[in-house]
Amino acid sequence: MPALDEGTPLFVQIAEQLADDIVDGVLAEGARVPSTNELAAFYRINPATAAKGINLLVDEAVLEKRRGIGMFVATGAREQLRASRRKRFAEQYVDPMLAEANRLGIDTDTLVTLIQGPGWHNGGSTP
Amino acid sequence: MTPTISATALGRRYRDQVALDDVSLTVEPGTVTGLLGRNGAGKTTLMRIITGLEFPSSGDLRVFGETPAENDSVLRRMVFVREEQPYPDFQVRHAIRVASWFYPNWDEDLAQQLLRDFELPPRRRIKRLSRGMRSAVGIVIGLAARAELTLFDEPYAGLDAVARQLFYDRLLAEFAEHPRTILLSTHLIDEVADLLEHVVMLDHGRVVLDAPADDVRGTGMTVNGPVTAVEEFVADRTVLRRQRLGSRASVTIADPLDLAAHDQARALRLSLEPLSLQQLLVHAAGVPADEKVSA
Amino acid sequence: MNTLVNVGRYHLVDRFTWLALPWGIMAFSFLVNIGVALAVPTGPRGIYTGGLVSLYIFMLLCGALSMTRALPFGLMMGISRRTYYAGTALLVLTLAVVYGLGLTLLQVVERATNGWGLKLHYFRIPWIMDGPWYETWLTSFVLLVAFVLYGMWYGLVFRRWSLPGLVAFIAAQIVVALLAVVAVSATHSWSGVGHFFTTVTALALTGVLALIALTMGFGGLTTVRRVTI
Repeated sequence: MPALDEGTPLFVQIAEQLADDIVDGVLAEGARVPSTNELAAFYRINPATAAKGINLLVDEAVLEKRRGIGMFVATGAREQLRASRRKRFAEQYVDPMLAEANRLGIDTDTLVTLIQGPGWHNGGSTP
Repeated sequence: MTPTISATALGRRYRDQVALDDVSLTVEPGTVTGLLGRNGAGKTTLMRIITGLEFPSSGDLRVFGETPAENDSVLRRMVFVREEQPYPDFQVRHAIRVASWFYPNWDEDLAQQLLRDFELPPRRRIKRLSRGMRSAVGIVIGLAARAELTLFDEPYAGLDAVARQLFYDRLLAEFAEHPRTILLSTHLIDEVADLLEHVVMLDHGRVVLDAPADDVRGTGMTVNGPVTAVEEFVADRTVLRRQRLGSRASVTIADPLDLAAHDQARALRLSLEPLSLQQLLVHAAGVPADEKVSA
Repeated sequence: MNTLVNVGRYHLVDRFTWLALPWGIMAFSFLVNIGVALAVPTGPRGIYTGGLVSLYIFMLLCGALSMTRALPFGLMMGISRRTYYAGTALLVLTLAVVYGLGLTLLQVVERATNGWGLKLHYFRIPWIMDGPWYETWLTSFVLLVAFVLYGMWYGLVFRRWSLPGLVAFIAAQIVVALLAVVAVSATHSWSGVGHFFTTVTALALTGVLALIALTMGFGGLTTVRRVTI
């Protein structure tokens, strides 16, 4: 059972884990998404919370409801999610990396080399 | 839609104490509500009034729109699983059988399944069961009754952690498949935190918190790091608790943090630890800052 | 109606106490009386014992138990206190009809065998249960109901007010009885009372017993309304 942390609201975490699966291709476009009851049982949470998470994604048009059958991944959902995540990529990953590099006195050139090559395991010596 | 439970300025006093004081709340149909609070806060009294076992001294309480006391049509739609339920000199199977006669939605297959899950010997006298198993009998009845309003008052006395998890899992499965209104009173908040949609907290007979669980979750954070950095971060925030050890500080704040705040924390090399629902509720009850929290 | 029947079924889960024991105890008492009749030389009119009272006393006990030991779980079955009381009373009425019939049959046999061949009057109580079978049935029915309802009332008084309440309850009854005696003396009505008891028919007396039973029932119903578990 995957752990849910205490910080972000549960339903947001549910939505993000589903989005992760879509981006990774685990949940293909057009595939059926687990029902609220299945999610509730899996994460051991209230079904209403699971429903809220799914609705978040429905609102973003990542998931679509097919009446009587269930929830499905919308066409184009993967690209849509990747695009929105690319926008956040800089804030979430690049900025912290730059801040830390700055703190440790790693200059931009070294940074670029680190990103490009595998030699950084050896304590900073460049190949 | 009529709320399942509706209390208006409900009061209950005994000769020498006030058990409930001006309690007003509603419980909506099909929700799971946690009734939380310390020992003696009034949770059991409230549940007893809801189930018609006690009569209010003042105020009004409605269940399914009517007063529950001595009201058969309302009472048969409820099941109450109590902490210490007295049984006559019955075997387990007798108690189950009798309950099956009275509850209109009773599911016998579920009852038998639950007896197996909790490993309850049907022919054993209830008197001779351990405390935990006695609690399990109450839980089996409470779940198999499939009553529209199901109340649990600390139903797991003596149940070990494995059995408790079994109870939560069965409760969740049952709730998902056959929705009903559930009111669950508990000390072990963190164990049920994810099941709750709504929380009501009582303290000395009064309602001190009545909110959707999502609103309560994530509203508290403990900030750890070097003293100066921590103090800079919490400068204009609501501080609940401060602790220092040498040059490090641990401060608990009540404000929700946005992305910018998270970035700031990272920049200051502070670690952020969200408060569990239990810790949040302890603070809501106004426990003095340096009193230990026992789970 | 179904719920009331279920309350009865609930009590009958303990078949031993409600079905077996009353007759077992009475059978034991009866055998003891047979033994006495065999051992002691009997006069021309035979032996009259009050042994039958054992059944009634035990049924009184059952009534008390139904409102003490059995009450908490019963109330947790989603029923009101009055429904629990009424359901129990219904069971009592049903059992009283059946048991009354049983006693009547035994009375018939006793009369036919001239006191079991020993001139023992066990099932024939002079003057109230010594007449035609239908009168005996009615009287034993009413008497049983009165005794059980009385026991139920005791059980409820104990539940609500424990031992002090029980003592007060008994004291109150004694006071009422004393007041009745005083009232009769004050109005010099003892001869009237005596006249009543010598001329009253068994049927009329049964009527009085029925009124007493109703009083017990009413008392119990009033007491149950605020009993807590």
